Amino acid sequence: MHGIKRKQYSREILKQKRLQDQLKIKTYNKLVDETLTIRDNKIFTSESLQLTSKVLELNPEFNTVWNYRRDIILQLQDTAPPEFWENELQFTMEKLKRFPKVYWIWNHRIWVLNNYSQASTKIWIRELSIVDKLLSMDARNYHGWHYRRLIVKNLETLKNQLMDKEELGYVTTVINKNISNYSAWHQRVQLITNLFKEHELNKKEMKKMVLDEISYITNAIYTDADDQSVWFYTNWFIENDIVRLVLTNEEYMKMLGEMKENIILINNDDLEFSGKENNWCLKMLIVIEGALKSTGHAVETDHTKEYLNKLIDLDPQRKNRYLYLLSK
Amino acid sequence: MLSPERRTSMAERRPSFANFSGNSNHIDTLMVPHLAGIEDPLPETTPEKVDVLIAGTGLVESVLAAALAWQGSTVLHVDTNDYYGDSAATLTVDQIKNWVNRVNNNDIISYNNAKLYLSTSIGPSCKYMSKDFGIDLSPKILFAKSDLLSILVKSRVHQYLEFQSLSTFHTYENDSFEKLTNTKQDIFTDQNLSLMTKRNLMKFLKFVLNWEEMPEIWQPYADKSITQFLFEKFKLEKPQVFELVFSIGLCCSVDTKVPLALHRIRRYLISYDVYGPFPVLYSKYGGAGEVSQGFCRSAAVAGATYKLNEKLYSYNPTTQVATFTDGSKVTVTEKIIMSPTQAPEGNQHIPDQKYEVNRMVCLVEKDCKEWFSEDESAAVVVFPPGSLKSGNKHVVQTLILGAGSECCPQNTSIWYLSTIESGVRAEMDLDAALEALEVSIVRESSSDITDNNDIVKIDEDGRPIINSVRLGQSFKEYIPRESVQHLMKLSYTQYTSTPPFDVVNPALFDNDELNNRANSVNKFIPNASDNGIIYTAMPSSEISYDEVVTAAKVLYEKIVGSDDDFFDVDFEDEDNDTVPQGASVNGTISYENAIDDDDDEDVDMGIRGDDSNEFVGQMEI
Repeated sequence: MHGIKRKQYSREILKQKRLQDQLKIKTYNKLVDETLTIRDNKIFTSESLQLTSKVLELNPEFNTVWNYRRDIILQLQDTAPPEFWENELQFTMEKLKRFPKVYWIWNHRIWVLNNYSQASTKIWIRELSIVDKLLSMDARNYHGWHYRRLIVKNLETLKNQLMDKEELGYVTTVINKNISNYSAWHQRVQLITNLFKEHELNKKEMKKMVLDEISYITNAIYTDADDQSVWFYTNWFIENDIVRLVLTNEEYMKMLGEMKENIILINNDDLEFSGKENNWCLKMLIVIEGALKSTGHAVETDHTKEYLNKLIDLDPQRKNRYLYLLSK
Repeated sequence: MLSPERRTSMAERRPSFANFSGNSNHIDTLMVPHLAGIEDPLPETTPEKVDVLIAGTGLVESVLAAALAWQGSTVLHVDTNDYYGDSAATLTVDQIKNWVNRVNNNDIISYNNAKLYLSTSIGPSCKYMSKDFGIDLSPKILFAKSDLLSILVKSRVHQYLEFQSLSTFHTYENDSFEKLTNTKQDIFTDQNLSLMTKRNLMKFLKFVLNWEEMPEIWQPYADKSITQFLFEKFKLEKPQVFELVFSIGLCCSVDTKVPLALHRIRRYLISYDVYGPFPVLYSKYGGAGEVSQGFCRSAAVAGATYKLNEKLYSYNPTTQVATFTDGSKVTVTEKIIMSPTQAPEGNQHIPDQKYEVNRMVCLVEKDCKEWFSEDESAAVVVFPPGSLKSGNKHVVQTLILGAGSECCPQNTSIWYLSTIESGVRAEMDLDAALEALEVSIVRESSSDITDNNDIVKIDEDGRPIINSVRLGQSFKEYIPRESVQHLMKLSYTQYTSTPPFDVVNPALFDNDELNNRANSVNKFIPNASDNGIIYTAMPSSEISYDEVVTAAKVLYEKIVGSDDDFFDVDFEDEDNDTVPQGASVNGTISYENAIDDDDDEDVDMGIRGDDSNEFVGQMEI
């Protein structure tokens, strides 16, 4: 019992596993051949459905078989019992639990929901809470976020009511938990754009939102000046139409000015601490200078060239892009 | 003979398997039988010859006994006491009374100055019974990412134990308790920190997780204090610095050197989010005492022999015969390892115990729930230097255990306080800390507080957060009307040869006490009863279990030759793929991050049922 060395143990197990694997591969190949043959013969029965289940159990990424399965379902749906659709949802859920990042499973699930004619609002709401749970386990799974947008869109149609405000609250919670979440910031972009486009806010609310957003961004860049998702969002925010619409020219310039000061502060701090300037800060400063120029007001000193030259040294991988920008 | 009064032993108490997440196979293959009778002395089966004799069932000795026993050495493990645990024991109130008397009679080496006050509420046919309480002589907390936790999993001793999470660390500053900000989420959402402070804090947290790989940043400060480093290089301010150094790093003074402090701070941060949003665990039913017992049980299963109430009389290194006070003898072919507390009369080789640790234990008639997070029954409160009325030069560390820890009855709690300060100043510091705690708990639990929403907020996940900042702010205005009832107050001084900081990183073991001692062993002193005996170190002020495995490994290497196979055991399972769940924490372990065992040299395909299920969940930055 004691004194058994580990190395010996694992070599034996390794050999055993190899043998087991060979068997598994044989079984799988046989199953796939059988399934595809039946499909070629256009056989759509509940037996062929079972067969696809077996294959997908072993390999959920085999999209051909998913397609075949959908064909079968379409053929069978008139004679199918009422629980059929729920069972199908259950089937995809089992797969998703094990493989949350496989496109084909997500595809199939949304297809099921869309074709499930008796799908009530309740089912879609339930779907939203499922996405909630998934995102709480893995907040950066963009499949989850994309799926969430599909669900929300459907719910909005069913309820005849826009959900952008609630969704904004949700995404804020997620970002607060971890600002390094590109998918969440992206979602934020979608939501804010929509909120303004669909006129869901009055003028006062819009202005407050913009100002709050500026503080939120500033908080984020100070908390982590190396996080690219934060910078991408900042870039979008500064340049997008919404802000230009809501703020007056003076307010816009003031915002840009303050942001510029903050970024210079952060950049200098980085220089002092590590001896190197911060690439993102430099890039953002160039963007801000561009934005200031576009307001038509004269800019006292243009540091763009200086920044680009620094970036050429700091970020040699993108040297040619900076050289290109310098030439413009 | 056994004292009739003791707490229920591990063998008698069934761990609540409700916490194991639903793997019933796991329980059936529990290969360790319930050891009834391990506590009974079995003189007739004492071996005549053993490889190793270990005296004292403290932490290091017990871990060593188990490691040696599983490696195949024959071990006789004895203890002069009638209980397990020695300096790490968990004792009832009556056992404490006896212990205090023995200390004051100079019967227990390395302890003195024991003072005990006992209220009349504890006793037979009183409100509380003596054995309702389990008092640790060495209170300890277990970091989620630590070598002891890995060993507990590897050896499966964790199956004898139950752990609970401890997420609440309070720093006492300006008469109030501050909440820790140690995650990116905390920093981002904290409304009270300035933007630049947030940036500086985050910079530091990112740095400290990888500090060894960035010598350009800390090398210039290698000999300086951590506080200086944090003020100058990271421009942090006192509240953040003290929080990092004293609550997160659990260091003892402002002068702690940079590399050591960074190591300690990192220890906390990498332990966070391994099993959940907390860095440490504590053992229920008694801390270090239970852990020692667990390893003793494991050793016994592996074949070690146990004898309590056994004291060494002398050892003859030439004949290799050890004689006990009851006349029995045993030949020891390899080594004798002994805790100084077990030393025979006429001993000459006990190492110099020049460092003092002063401790106080109070049994308090308050449940202290206000200090704990939901579902938890413990908290750590740290009083940084200068924060107390006494102007403490060194930190006072306190550990509070509530009834949920199963160490005390309902509506009571145990307060452990300790400091490396010495003499009268230590008393003053401990008393000042005690008073601060009392004033705080009375205020927090008083029904005079009308607006309870201020105390406990609910965050967006529905979890209650103790808003200690709000509490502390109105702290000064509050005049306590009731006082706290002490059921017991115990204070004592312990001595150790381990300097207050050099316990964490083996690389910092530069004074290498044990090697020196081993060498001095060769020095033969005529008429000494303990020639040839290797003494272990007495427990230090360290609140974590960090010193234990390192010390055990060093001794193991001395005996066996190398520490390659330290706890390198492979328990046979029926189901090879069964993976033990690791320390069972209240609620299920919801994390299934990459399973990566640092100790495992074999970078295999993860095919074997990996015994050491060490979750590596790093704080994401």
